[in-house]
Amino acid sequence: MDGILNGVHAYKVTRSIKIGFDPHGIQRVMRNSMCTNPSRIFGPMQTFWALFQKELKLELRQKHALAGVLLYVLATVFVCYLGFQQIDSAKTWGALLWVTGVFTAFNAMQKSFATESSGTHLYMYSLADPRAIILSKAAYNALFVAVLNLISVFFFILFFGTKPLADMDIAQFLLGLLLGSTGLGLALTFVAGIAFRSGAGVGLVAILGFPVIIPLLITIVRHTTLSLEGASALANSLNLVVLIVLNAVSFALSYLLFPYLWRE
Amino acid sequence: MKNWLKITCIGLLLYTAVFSLWHPMGPGGLAVSATKMHPGRNEFEFKGYATHFKEAESSLQVFVSVDSSAAYCADILQVVDESHVIVSVFLPDTISSKRFGFAANNDIDGTVIVDSPVGHDGFEFVPGTSNALCQYRVNQEEFSRFGFPYQPIIIESIRNLMWHVPMWFTMFVLMTISFIFSIRALGKEDGRVDLDHDTRASAAAAVGVVFCVLGLVTGSLWARFTWGDWWTNDPQLNGAMVVFMVYVAYFILRNSTPDEEKRARLSAIFNIFAFVLMVVLLMVMPRFTEGLHPGKSGNPAFSKYDLDSSLRSVFYPACAGFILLGYWIYRLNYRIQKLEQHDETHA
Repeated sequence: MDGILNGVHAYKVTRSIKIGFDPHGIQRVMRNSMCTNPSRIFGPMQTFWALFQKELKLELRQKHALAGVLLYVLATVFVCYLGFQQIDSAKTWGALLWVTGVFTAFNAMQKSFATESSGTHLYMYSLADPRAIILSKAAYNALFVAVLNLISVFFFILFFGTKPLADMDIAQFLLGLLLGSTGLGLALTFVAGIAFRSGAGVGLVAILGFPVIIPLLITIVRHTTLSLEGASALANSLNLVVLIVLNAVSFALSYLLFPYLWRE
Repeated sequence: MKNWLKITCIGLLLYTAVFSLWHPMGPGGLAVSATKMHPGRNEFEFKGYATHFKEAESSLQVFVSVDSSAAYCADILQVVDESHVIVSVFLPDTISSKRFGFAANNDIDGTVIVDSPVGHDGFEFVPGTSNALCQYRVNQEEFSRFGFPYQPIIIESIRNLMWHVPMWFTMFVLMTISFIFSIRALGKEDGRVDLDHDTRASAAAAVGVVFCVLGLVTGSLWARFTWGDWWTNDPQLNGAMVVFMVYVAYFILRNSTPDEEKRARLSAIFNIFAFVLMVVLLMVMPRFTEGLHPGKSGNPAFSKYDLDSSLRSVFYPACAGFILLGYWIYRLNYRIQKLEQHDETHA
């Protein structure tokens, strides 16, 4: 029996290495940990960084997937350009940016759980605290969406010029971009987790995710529009507060509920 | 009394149906026929709503106010019926404003005001020659309001308050029940999920969605009547639509997860998410954004009229009645689902 399990374990490890997952890194952390309960071998914060690095490595090793997402961003912005030719109002610019942002986020999110086999999940469950898993995934996805949004801002400037951005308040705009991306990352990672667990495929991410992110989307479009119009920080503070609240709510719910989701 | 809940529910709903539809409206000023005022004699018809111009003809006064400071008494030419009176007013040429207010006053109705078409393009003042102001009295003290308060534009549709608003209250109650059972479904000590609590949660959410649809439909009708469109860009409307979509997504999630245990776990988790989202959408976000619903961005708030005892006397029973109805249907739905589950396991 032991032999079979070892065989399965060895298979999982080789498989994990092949897709870029570094079990030895985690085992190093595990050895340093004082805990003895295998399901809680390390606290959330200790594993967080190792898992975050794992996500990053996984992304960088799958260059074709990364290129696919970048192509998606470029294509979406280009379609916007073909449709609009020229944008004069900050409102349209902001709305289009976030429509692109949402679709990119969905695209990026669909592979968040799906590219890993259920064996990897089981392996990770036996090693790490589920909260560390969701936080690392959410943090990574938030960062990823933020970077993709910055890239799409670049493409928007490339195609549409800087005319709609003439009055923009850069600090506010970037803060909004960051908060919007983290909000999307947090909420959609959690929804992707639910959809993945249901086993109904990636289509469910869009069905469950769209209604969930609408409040965030309304607020972030409003925030971006105001910051593009050069409104004062005070005028935009209400949107900022709502954004922070939505982020906090998504974070709290993910943190509290993910352990239940992860349990088999 | 085994069925006290049902009997109370039916009683309250009957009371609501009867009184929300048959309770009379209080008096109000509907419109004036004048579209143009000029110095000298202006003759126009003043239309009231649910007023008693004929009955209180002896104490009837009609006056025109300018810039809400000066007022000019009108000579009553003919009281046509209870709600129509033809008057004539003499305006001096010193007036340079386009802001006219029209009011009628009698001992039964008190003062009724036509919501002045302030700065309305149709009103035009042509300067000319003429004279004096008149004295008028406002007998608001004698104002005997015996109907639902008259509100411009809303008028009779205020009766919808007793149908539209309780739908949302009922939905909130049902979604709260659903939320609580979802938490309890996850909160078992051995880490398994409680299937019975999950059934309760889904049964309550299903009835909640029905009340959400009813709230949207009654709201849409009301919006068509008062705001002119079936759908308007209002945070509460949009929020309600999103809530509807989130709960539909909840049922899609349930139906696309075949494994019972997994379905219970996932839908309980999503339901907690959905409930928090609903609170954010319907209770937090509308306070921050401009909208058409009462109490925001300069719209007349109902709170002022909630104090009106005639509205309260129907509104509170209506809320209680619909909440009881929702709970009743939820119990039935729960029992039906339990029976179906029983059939499946013993088939």
